[in-house]
Amino acid sequence: MSLLCVGNSEDKTALKAVLKKLLVLPVTMILVSFLTFAAFEAVSGDPARTMLGTEATEEQVQSLRQELGLDRPFAQRYFRWLGGFFSGDLGISYSYRQPVRDLIGSKLLITLLLSLISFTLITVVSLPLGVISYRWKTTVFNQLFMAFPPFFTGILISWVFGIIFRLFTPGAFPDIYTDTGRALVHLFFGSICLAVPRIAMTVRMLRSTVVSEMNKAYVRTAISRGNDRQGVLKRHVLKNSLVSAVSFLGQTLAELVGAGIVVEQVLGIPGLGRFLVTSILHRDYPVIQAIVVILALWVGLAGVLADLINQAIDPRLRIRQGVVSA
Amino acid sequence: MKLKAGLIITAFLLIVALVGLFWTPYSPTAMVSARFTKPCAEHLFGTDNFGRDILSRAMKGLGTTFVIAFTTVLIGAVAGTLVGSVTGYYGGMTDHILMRFNDAVTAFPTFLLALLIVSLVGPGGRYSVILALGLVFIPGFARVMRSEYASLRNRNFVTNARLMGAGDARILFIYLLPNTVRVFLPAFTIGFNNAVLAEAGLSFLGIGVTPPDASLGYMLAEAQGMLAAAPWYALFTGAVIVLLVFGVGLIGEGLQNFMGEVE
Amino acid sequence: MEKKVFVVLLLALLLLASCAKKSSQVPSDEVRIGVSQDFDSLDPHHMTAAGTKEIMFNVYEGLVKPDSSGNIVPAVASQVSRSEDGKTYTFTIRDNVKFHNGRAVTAQDVVYSINRRTDGKDSAAKLAALNVIQGVSAQGNSVVIELKEASNEFLAAIMNAYIIPGDHGDLETNPVGTGPYRFVSRSVQDSLVLERFEDYWGTKAGIKKVTFRILENAEALVLGLQSGALDLVAHLSSDQTVQLDSKAFTIEEGSMNLVQALYLNNKAKPFDNVLVRKALCYATDKRKIIELAFDGYGIPLGTSMFPSFGKYYVDELTDYYSYDPQKAKDLLAQAGYPDGIDITITVPGNYTPHVNAATAMTELFRQAGIRATIRLMDWGTWLEEVYSNRNFQCTVTGVTSDNMTARKLLERFGSKTGNNFTNYSNEDYDRILAQALAEPDDAKQTALYRELEKNLTENAANVYIQDMADLVAVRNGLKGLTFYPLYVLDVSALRWEQ
Repeated sequence: MSLLCVGNSEDKTALKAVLKKLLVLPVTMILVSFLTFAAFEAVSGDPARTMLGTEATEEQVQSLRQELGLDRPFAQRYFRWLGGFFSGDLGISYSYRQPVRDLIGSKLLITLLLSLISFTLITVVSLPLGVISYRWKTTVFNQLFMAFPPFFTGILISWVFGIIFRLFTPGAFPDIYTDTGRALVHLFFGSICLAVPRIAMTVRMLRSTVVSEMNKAYVRTAISRGNDRQGVLKRHVLKNSLVSAVSFLGQTLAELVGAGIVVEQVLGIPGLGRFLVTSILHRDYPVIQAIVVILALWVGLAGVLADLINQAIDPRLRIRQGVVSA
Repeated sequence: MKLKAGLIITAFLLIVALVGLFWTPYSPTAMVSARFTKPCAEHLFGTDNFGRDILSRAMKGLGTTFVIAFTTVLIGAVAGTLVGSVTGYYGGMTDHILMRFNDAVTAFPTFLLALLIVSLVGPGGRYSVILALGLVFIPGFARVMRSEYASLRNRNFVTNARLMGAGDARILFIYLLPNTVRVFLPAFTIGFNNAVLAEAGLSFLGIGVTPPDASLGYMLAEAQGMLAAAPWYALFTGAVIVLLVFGVGLIGEGLQNFMGEVE
Repeated sequence: MEKKVFVVLLLALLLLASCAKKSSQVPSDEVRIGVSQDFDSLDPHHMTAAGTKEIMFNVYEGLVKPDSSGNIVPAVASQVSRSEDGKTYTFTIRDNVKFHNGRAVTAQDVVYSINRRTDGKDSAAKLAALNVIQGVSAQGNSVVIELKEASNEFLAAIMNAYIIPGDHGDLETNPVGTGPYRFVSRSVQDSLVLERFEDYWGTKAGIKKVTFRILENAEALVLGLQSGALDLVAHLSSDQTVQLDSKAFTIEEGSMNLVQALYLNNKAKPFDNVLVRKALCYATDKRKIIELAFDGYGIPLGTSMFPSFGKYYVDELTDYYSYDPQKAKDLLAQAGYPDGIDITITVPGNYTPHVNAATAMTELFRQAGIRATIRLMDWGTWLEEVYSNRNFQCTVTGVTSDNMTARKLLERFGSKTGNNFTNYSNEDYDRILAQALAEPDDAKQTALYRELEKNLTENAANVYIQDMADLVAVRNGLKGLTFYPLYVLDVSALRWEQ
């Protein structure tokens, strides 16, 4: 009974921590949006000029700046944007002259799919491998896989599957709505690039936690009492290693979107990352703002999610652990 | 064992890069042979679209990559340690503000940050890339060092030092800093690898080292466009990057194990 | 166990992929075209990117339009008459011209369209070349345009005043024009679909559906062609064309109609010294650059004009400075640089041909004691720093004329012209330019323009390299590709033949 009570109060403080994180999230987003805004104050390259190209006259550039409101003071522009953002208005893209919200939808979907497929791949492959890896004598191969940068894997995959076997056309991404099958194949190749080094990292991380857990007193006691190694591993060690694995995977989930930018570029996947890059080159501020804030939200949510899952596992683990050592 | 293997690989590459400073089979920029010559006795790695010897370019590029990655991490490490030590040791409000800022910078896409800095420093050239990436690496180091400092600050030897009248600066850098080596060195190797990859990533996105000088990353980005005509270009440059990251990664893991044993 | 699952999963996906591949066979009434850059705004008065104008040429028309031999021919107007003094133009609207939404074009639509490009209410739509217009009015079924002064270039300039309906909705998402193709759909950074406009006033297009796929990777375009996903790609590099199967594709060679040069900032040291500029010209082996960086494709140029502009082009200027590194060194010594010079070439990094030309130049310059470093910039920065603020030493880029006039290529080097990014300043040049612009007689004007070209060469204003080759890969069976002296791709002339 007393054990349960402990579990409950832990639960409450844990929930508080998650809530706190959730509350901090908008602060981070606002900060990020402000930084982006400020950044482009300093970057050279005028959106009006980029929109008008080489044929524009100086007065034309100036009057377009006025139309876009770029001549207003910094603070005024920022708060105007912020106000729009909170009322769901992301503004109009400078280069496409269409609402940013309409442009971003399908890109967001593609990037989400890419991240989720890689994430699934990482989880499905690395968890079992990580568990059996405590038996491995060496982790050199692990280290080797970690050395494969996503863009190089992307190039290798384009060469082998794209050029030699012609299973997909790197760069020619099929329409996600009408040609979903082939689009998913394309995304799958992209996720492999992202997953390879991260699977290696996760396996390494899991291996070291499993190994250190196996060396702990309660496991030794259990084994010396005659429980078989496998059984102990399955029943106790795994569950205890899971906590660190979940936080690690949460971190990975957060990183995937950023890492995806280069893969999107190499394999020509029309996701948020690639859109961000082109928008930066075209100084399309409203698009940049929106994407940066979405990415920040994603990073924050991934962290919160990992925490939540861990809170769900944690108390029960504690109880069990208590029972075992008793 | 791992440490040794890592050191051997890295040392080998370092020697190749050093040799490349003074001697390469051909001038790395000279357009000497037919374009897209396959790997052969004259050109072990083949030639690129200008008929330049890829091996010579890779040797030179390896040097560039080394310099960029090393200086980048150094900037990140020094500044990150400063931030991390202060926030970790004092805690409180400073900690709160700096870490929130840290979060924001981390959530900021690397490319955007790099572009910003490149454009502030003046675009093009090696130095702006180094500075840009260096700043990108600060938050990571800050976080690692912060938790290390936070865990050390209440240890007995620190309390003793404080009682003996040591000033904060002295405690931070004379008493505490040497004790962070355990995490610092592996973090440094990981940072080095990340810098190699980040520089290559930037090259892919069109802001990085400029031709005719080339880093490995720039070469790989260039090679991608010629994948069907000259697959060896991408394969060889990519292989060198993988080997470098592999070697340094082994050193990092070896160091970690070594430090663990010492404790 | 897990590995097996993984392998099975992989195989299943591969199978899926190989099945899916078969669906991409050549349909007879569709052509799929690969383009390497995304389109910007589809509003004809807002579009800026050359790639957008190139394609939307099939959707929008002006009162007059260009043909493939560089003539200006009637389009929305069936007839054009010019008053004696050259200051009044009367355009008769063609009877059977309809917008893509089915409505007939009226004189009011034309007035609206021209006003939208001139009145400055929409600053992005304003076209400086139309500043010469005094007033526009509709008179029954014709439109009368009064000019402030007579101008030989007016008809060329009015081509770009594309006619849109006066009651149009959002042209960005729903472009409406009068061209042989009508807009169907667009997905940003992905594709653009056009369909034959059955009510087109002229010869109807040969192919029903045209899909443009945006593939930013150089090798993606090649792979797209090889895999059968694309039928035509223009503006390829020779690196790309060598990878194609010659049995399945024909490579057509046209020219880009652009003056690629090392543009010098004539006000920046050391290029303010004409001797240094000449030294640079002597140190440049155009043919070698074309050979090294473009596999031999390209027409060497010696001034700001290319051969497809016929009468304006002065061929003798190409070899005015024959390659001579020793002479270059001597000139540098004479200018006070006996040990050679260090220069920085700024290049917009997203444009490979310019980066490649700069790379080859850098290598060749060594022999003349010119040590060059390349600085890559992203397009936005380049536009601001180099083109607008003129804060650079030299840059490799291309200068074009989007309305087929020699004026566009030459006016920019006048010392008072707004977009003279090279800061070229020469009294003779300014004088001849003023004369040329005011000259009503075409033959005399042409002679003056040729003078200007000579002036640019003799004073070594810039180091001219070439008019780049336009290599177009066309799937066998697809006929009718025509090159224009403009950056446009005329899809309506294409057709499939067995």
